[in-house]
Amino acid sequence: MNALALAATEPTPQVHLTSQTRILAAVLAIAFMVLILDLIRRDRLQERYSVVWFVAGLGMLIGAAFPGLLELVADAMGVRDTNVALFSIVLLLLLGLVLNFSVIMSRQAAQITRLAQERALERANDQARSGENGSEAKAERFEG
Amino acid sequence: MRTLVFIPAWNEADSVAAVIAGVRESLPRADVLVVDDGSSDETAARAREAGALVASLPFNQGLGAALQTGYLHALREGYDACAHLDADGQHPPAEVARLLEEIYGDRADLVIGSRYRDPGREAESDDYKPTLSRRIGTGVFRFFLTLATRQRFTDTTSGMRAANRRVMSLFSERYSPDFAEIESLQLAVREGLRVEEVPVRMLERVGGSSFLTPVRSAFFIFKGMIVLLVGQFRPREAKAER
Repeated sequence: MNALALAATEPTPQVHLTSQTRILAAVLAIAFMVLILDLIRRDRLQERYSVVWFVAGLGMLIGAAFPGLLELVADAMGVRDTNVALFSIVLLLLLGLVLNFSVIMSRQAAQITRLAQERALERANDQARSGENGSEAKAERFEG
Repeated sequence: MRTLVFIPAWNEADSVAAVIAGVRESLPRADVLVVDDGSSDETAARAREAGALVASLPFNQGLGAALQTGYLHALREGYDACAHLDADGQHPPAEVARLLEEIYGDRADLVIGSRYRDPGREAESDDYKPTLSRRIGTGVFRFFLTLATRQRFTDTTSGMRAANRRVMSLFSERYSPDFAEIESLQLAVREGLRVEEVPVRMLERVGGSSFLTPVRSAFFIFKGMIVLLVGQFRPREAKAER
């Protein structure tokens, strides 16, 4: 209890990103963007879904190149450790992205369902037109 | 009144022909459509042999999507009334005719065949006997659906229903693929349609077994409650258009 109170009141110095972290982040960001470009080139990723990933890579690069920006953000968040601020931001962005993909997936699932239904009914109509069954059924209908 | 009876079927090759024959006998004037939900067995062939029109979904899409296919067909082909029943032989076709009477008489827009709402009748040996997990699930859904719709339903998951064109146009556009039975009731009541329950006799299934294990039931109930909760806040279509 006492220690907690102490920790809360005593000002701790801000934790900066080390240059080792920055170099690693920059290398990863560049590798990531190269990967994205390669996926587009090989038709494995559509351009419209690549923009957001490319922006993420650029963000990583900018964060590594200008750590002052990150420290400003960390300050604004009231976080002393810049690394924690970085993690929180990245986590939030990823959460948003994944949710966005779930929304896209749901829309596509609905589209696939309707497509399957259209195809099924088309086949049923073909059956109705070609088979004797269909013509009989139609004749019955008009009598009734 | 032109009537379509549709039967969603997923791998029901053993029972589908008998169900079609039963429908033919009880409702000789109705057209029969089997919606084959991507079956890997001979369901589609058996249904065609039995003289039904078959709409084969290219891959399994779930009961909701299969039912919606039937409603879509009924709407597009201009049927005045439609009904559906399960392909596993649990639903006696003669009872479907009773549901349709309510539609013909314009006493309801959507009629549900309830296996529970007949306390006075004596039990017969081949009657439907619900399992414990089924009974719990039924109770929970009854409670929440009644809460959500302010209308009393006893058999919320019944797959034996009859409907008119108002319901066809609603369900062909908005029908939950995951939670077809319960959400559709909520939707219909919210859209101001007249939903009615009619007690029917149901039989024990002929082949296959129920997909409900206790764990699945719990998951099913949990999912159902979320679906109902969300459903309460969905925008109303009919009202918005007016």
